[in-house]
Amino acid sequence: MTVADDIDVAADSPAEATPRLIRKGALYGVLSALMVVFCVVPFILVIVISFGRKVEGAAWVWDFTFENYQRFFVGVLWPDEVTFLYLQQLGYSFYFAIIASLLAVLTALPFTLLLTRLKRSAQAIWLVFILSSLSMSEVFIVMGWDILLSNNSGLPRLFQVTGLTQWLKDVGWFQTLRDIGLANPRNVKFKPSEFATILTMSYLVWPYAVILLYPALSRLDPSLSEAARTMGASRWTVTRTVTLPSIRLPLMGTTLLLFVFLLGSYVTISVFATPDKQTTAVAIYSNIRGSNLNAPFGSAQAVILLISASICLYFGHLLNRKAEAR
Amino acid sequence: MRVGGHIFMALSALVLAMPIVVVCGAALNGGRSMFFPPQDPTLARFGEFFVSEPVWTNALANSIIVAVGAATLAVLIAWPVAYLLWSSGSKLSKALAGLGSLPFAVPPIVIGVGLGFFWAFTGGLGHVWSGVISHAILLMALPLVTISIGLQSIDRSHMDAAATMGATEQIAFRTVVLPQTVPYTISGFFFVLVLSFNEFIVIFFVSASSYATVTLQIFNSLRNGYTPTMAVAAITFLAVSILVFAAVARWGDLPRLMGADQSKN
Repeated sequence: MTVADDIDVAADSPAEATPRLIRKGALYGVLSALMVVFCVVPFILVIVISFGRKVEGAAWVWDFTFENYQRFFVGVLWPDEVTFLYLQQLGYSFYFAIIASLLAVLTALPFTLLLTRLKRSAQAIWLVFILSSLSMSEVFIVMGWDILLSNNSGLPRLFQVTGLTQWLKDVGWFQTLRDIGLANPRNVKFKPSEFATILTMSYLVWPYAVILLYPALSRLDPSLSEAARTMGASRWTVTRTVTLPSIRLPLMGTTLLLFVFLLGSYVTISVFATPDKQTTAVAIYSNIRGSNLNAPFGSAQAVILLISASICLYFGHLLNRKAEAR
Repeated sequence: MRVGGHIFMALSALVLAMPIVVVCGAALNGGRSMFFPPQDPTLARFGEFFVSEPVWTNALANSIIVAVGAATLAVLIAWPVAYLLWSSGSKLSKALAGLGSLPFAVPPIVIGVGLGFFWAFTGGLGHVWSGVISHAILLMALPLVTISIGLQSIDRSHMDAAATMGATEQIAFRTVVLPQTVPYTISGFFFVLVLSFNEFIVIFFVSASSYATVTLQIFNSLRNGYTPTMAVAAITFLAVSILVFAAVARWGDLPRLMGADQSKN
């Protein structure tokens, strides 16, 4: 059908315009209601419940108390006794997320740069591969690394069989590995450890890093760096003085987004981190669904996580604004 | 340098593929434990996953219901929002789009907890339909983005031409807007489908252990140790992802959807 076929019915009269306005208003109304009910109310519930109070031996009741927040920052028995256990968990959330997101962005950057220089059809094939790995569930990825790092099969076994373990022992590096907790007396041991946690977390967001950097890098003007090369600048100088400054903002924005995403990661931490290095996300789970059954305190922790994430997202937004303004 | 670049890309691909390959390989194990390389290779696990073990077939059915339902619902909500944003650009439409993207932007555990409370109060906790709605809410941001990209690709002069020739808004919508945005709508649908399949934390909170999707079932089985059947699930999901994204790349413009510059080819 072409547009011309419909000309007869297209007479636009004022009498028709009014119902259309009403329809549009109704559409706005329905959509607004949907968004408020499903996208705003859940967050409000979390915030409101975080001020609730747990009843010993029962569930919890509505209340308006700051006890949960006090408990998070200084412990229940404050001011007689102070504990920073929960702050420390938040600290580990940040620690793992920062290192893993930086690692992912720094390794994804050269990869994406190379990717954007390929032919368009080759880019599409790589993107299919990267998107497929991006969409793989956290549980599959944790399972994969768990097998790879487990002592009976995977890398430690490979180290043993190929004689790499023996070689490490001979040159004396084995003792260093033992000191940082990556080996038992007989062989290397990769999990549970910080190493396994950070490796899996940065693996988890690496495809995201590529996808997020891709638009900015594919808009880079190659003639700029070519000009600099022609004028005699070395490849490293070009990267440092031309390429990096022009992608500084998307680079920081991407790191922030990945960081926020990793703040809430649960499966990786619960499988790979040692018990003394559990994070806020794990604590939220054990309070709300797990053994503690203290929904208000879990909500308070979720609110604190949400606030941390919002601050980071806000800065990311500012960076994007600045990037677009240029 | 060119060679160095290729080596770096190949190395990245290798590391990226490594855990996936290991999981897939482990599916072929004949015994009950996961070994890599697989011992006593067999394809019997595929039969268990798809046909004979109700734990897995039920989980797969739930996964499919949630993913297809959520993708349909997410597209249905995202379409009018994206259209209003594009056609009017009003403050309200921007606010709607912002709210719609909110659940996707915060750490998933927070929206998981929030939706868990929400369904506990509204009586949906532990029902499959509430899982469908939850995933639609969480992933609505994706069709919102793809449909918006599609709408932006429409040449405004086509709209003007249609209007000049006397087409009403509805007719212009049907003859100009709709045909040009179909590929982007389908892409959005499939992005939700694939991510919903693989999503874990939100469905974990809203299912309240009364039903299991495949990812939930795998997480539940983590404590009892791995079985090769779990790896079959991984293969299946990976195959679905590759098929979907390859289809998007084949019939849509994947580099453009991912934000590549249009002027270069």
